[in-house]
Amino acid sequence: MNRRFFLKSLAAAAAAASLGRPWSPPNHALAAEDIFPDLVAVKGADVRLMYQRAMTALGGLERFVSQGQKVLIKPNMGWAMEPSTAANTSPALLTALIENSLALGASKVSVFDNTCDNWRSAYSRSGLEQAAKDAGAEVAPANQESYYQKVSLAGATSLPSASFHELYLEADVIINVPVLKHHGGARMTAALKNLMGAVWDRGAMHRNGLDTTIPELFLNKKPALNIVEAQRVMLTGGPRGRGDSKYLAAGLLLASADPVAVDAASARIIAEAGITTPAYIDHASKLGLGKSDLSQVNIQRLTV
Amino acid sequence: MTKKGWKSLCLIRRLTGLTILVLLWAAFINPQSWEPVLKLLPKLQFGQLLAGFFSGGPVRIVIPFLIIVLSALFFGRFFCGFLCPLGASMDLAVFIRSKIKRKTFAFIPDRWWRSLVPVLLLGTFWVGLTIPMGQLEPYSIIISGLFPLLPVLLIIAAWRGRAFCNSVCPTGWVLKILAKSAIFGFFLKKDTCLGCGSCRKVCPASCIDSDGLKLDRGRCLICLQCAAVCPNGSLTFGAADVLGHQAPGRRNFLRLTAAATAVGGAYLTGEEIRLSSRPLPETAPILPPGALSVAHLNAHCTLCHSCVQACPNGALEPADDADDIRLLGKPIISPYLGFCQYECVLCTQICPTGALVPLTPEVKRTSRLGTASLNLSECVVIKNHTSCGACAELCPSGAVNMVLESSELPEPFLEKEFCIGCGACQKACPVRPVAAIVVEGLYIQQTAKPAVQKKTTDSILADEFPF
Repeated sequence: MNRRFFLKSLAAAAAAASLGRPWSPPNHALAAEDIFPDLVAVKGADVRLMYQRAMTALGGLERFVSQGQKVLIKPNMGWAMEPSTAANTSPALLTALIENSLALGASKVSVFDNTCDNWRSAYSRSGLEQAAKDAGAEVAPANQESYYQKVSLAGATSLPSASFHELYLEADVIINVPVLKHHGGARMTAALKNLMGAVWDRGAMHRNGLDTTIPELFLNKKPALNIVEAQRVMLTGGPRGRGDSKYLAAGLLLASADPVAVDAASARIIAEAGITTPAYIDHASKLGLGKSDLSQVNIQRLTV
Repeated sequence: MTKKGWKSLCLIRRLTGLTILVLLWAAFINPQSWEPVLKLLPKLQFGQLLAGFFSGGPVRIVIPFLIIVLSALFFGRFFCGFLCPLGASMDLAVFIRSKIKRKTFAFIPDRWWRSLVPVLLLGTFWVGLTIPMGQLEPYSIIISGLFPLLPVLLIIAAWRGRAFCNSVCPTGWVLKILAKSAIFGFFLKKDTCLGCGSCRKVCPASCIDSDGLKLDRGRCLICLQCAAVCPNGSLTFGAADVLGHQAPGRRNFLRLTAAATAVGGAYLTGEEIRLSSRPLPETAPILPPGALSVAHLNAHCTLCHSCVQACPNGALEPADDADDIRLLGKPIISPYLGFCQYECVLCTQICPTGALVPLTPEVKRTSRLGTASLNLSECVVIKNHTSCGACAELCPSGAVNMVLESSELPEPFLEKEFCIGCGACQKACPVRPVAAIVVEGLYIQQTAKPAVQKKTTDSILADEFPF
């Protein structure tokens, strides 16, 4: 046993121990915001370990998921691209999240994406369908309008209503698990942009302008938790990725209940490659969906 | 074989046909999960093999075609009885009807006019007009002619048995000619036959003359029901000589030689005749991958629409408006319905006639079906000053990219040499009724410049946490 292995085992054991900890009633004397950071950023190489560390720092997934709840996990699996291209969320992260939710007693965990490529190709080539099924989740199709229900978005100016997938609407808890990437039209895709895969109105959103319509999707029911995978970040040719796409080895995982803060932090990562911060982050902040000014956000930075 | 033996064999026969039918339907409902079935079963359909052969198809069609032809020369219309999915559904219709009300068939003598329709269908197909044959070939009916043709045919079948197989079906007609000269077949043993007519009453092909003690082997579909009801085994399968009947003689030999010459000639000249075309029109619809050219598709496609049914993106539809009448009903890509998925080659792998040449995903990625053209003045980025990029987002070949020009929003930029004409950009474009980026088809498909493949080493974050 060398030192690195020992440290890794120690971290894994600590993470496992903290996950296995019996649930205790929340302490109302202290608000959650005071104990836990707004945003956790974990630097590392093993996404499973990074996930566990991030969740421990946020107070565990049990802060968001409780026994008997229907959980919807929304990854980015919109592209018929292999995991090595980092065009979709990585299967290992999805597996960890599903296993954790089921261990906490979630009655059902569903996964879907309104894909850009052919849905079967995207579900299978991304490796996410297999990973989700193996972990015990239900993988649902999202390729037909009949799966969607129209919901009005109060306070929206460019997208007064949107058709959400029925699983999104019936879920008790929604967990948003995007991958951070360059995006040709929207400049960047992370937590906010990922919800476009939960609705049917892609055409209307492109027509009315992505910068204003993307945040408005959060005006109905929003994810309780956003986990942005930024391990290997596609910097050019996104969102699909091309044979000559450039990548950034960022080795990061960000988690926050605030989709705006997590996107603002993501934008800083991708800004290193000269990508302009998308205007939808500020729009989202103005709609009161979260904080885009990172100086106001309590960030915990960890390394595993 | 005993009566019971024939009965079991008859059941196996029915189940074989119905299994093929159900497998085909299941496979076309969920093409991506049933790929092996789709790659195999359509290629065993004699109608498709026949058409593929008639249009000068490749070896992979000629060989199974000749195998079925040879088997018909030995055993008669084995294909019609055991393997034809339409035949199986008609047998089922007869079966259900006879359960409701007892049905007896009468002997109907063969007449020359029964050859009229099949010969007309085959002839028009051979000179390049596909539509008549495409409507009435059994496999095409099962795959794409479900409504209203199939119910009508099944209702007719419930009353008249398999009359369709002996007076309309082009496939059946070819096998009928061969079966007339077959070495083996069903015969009535004249010395033991009681003349009770049980066999005639169950024969859906109306081919048993129980009074004249004759069985028309050309129309016999090897359905085995006669043997299964004959009270004393007077109906049996064997060689003519052994059973004391006249063996196929000189006349047969001459007939077969003539047929072989005709068929061989058709094979050698078929593609030539069908490829000859009028001057090329200005524009062409977007053809499916592997179609090569409008002429090639016209020459080989039988309108079975397997590709249309199987396309996982629902991108294909039958052409309903074409300058060239021969292109009517042929599969074309309609980007507003769906686009041709970058690495998908399913249609080229299942095409039973070779109209779509099988492609590997590698070849497919640079196979150009059309060319996009960009109408920037209609683009929402220019017109409405909103960020979009749907076209570049979907473009798999790197032909459309978002670049920063004069305005502060990235706008689409098209490099046509990389365009493969898949239609993804047109489908994704939010502008309607006419998209701001549209794909025009090519009369002859081309090869696009391959998408740039350049492995770069990943850059590293300067700050551990840049926020």
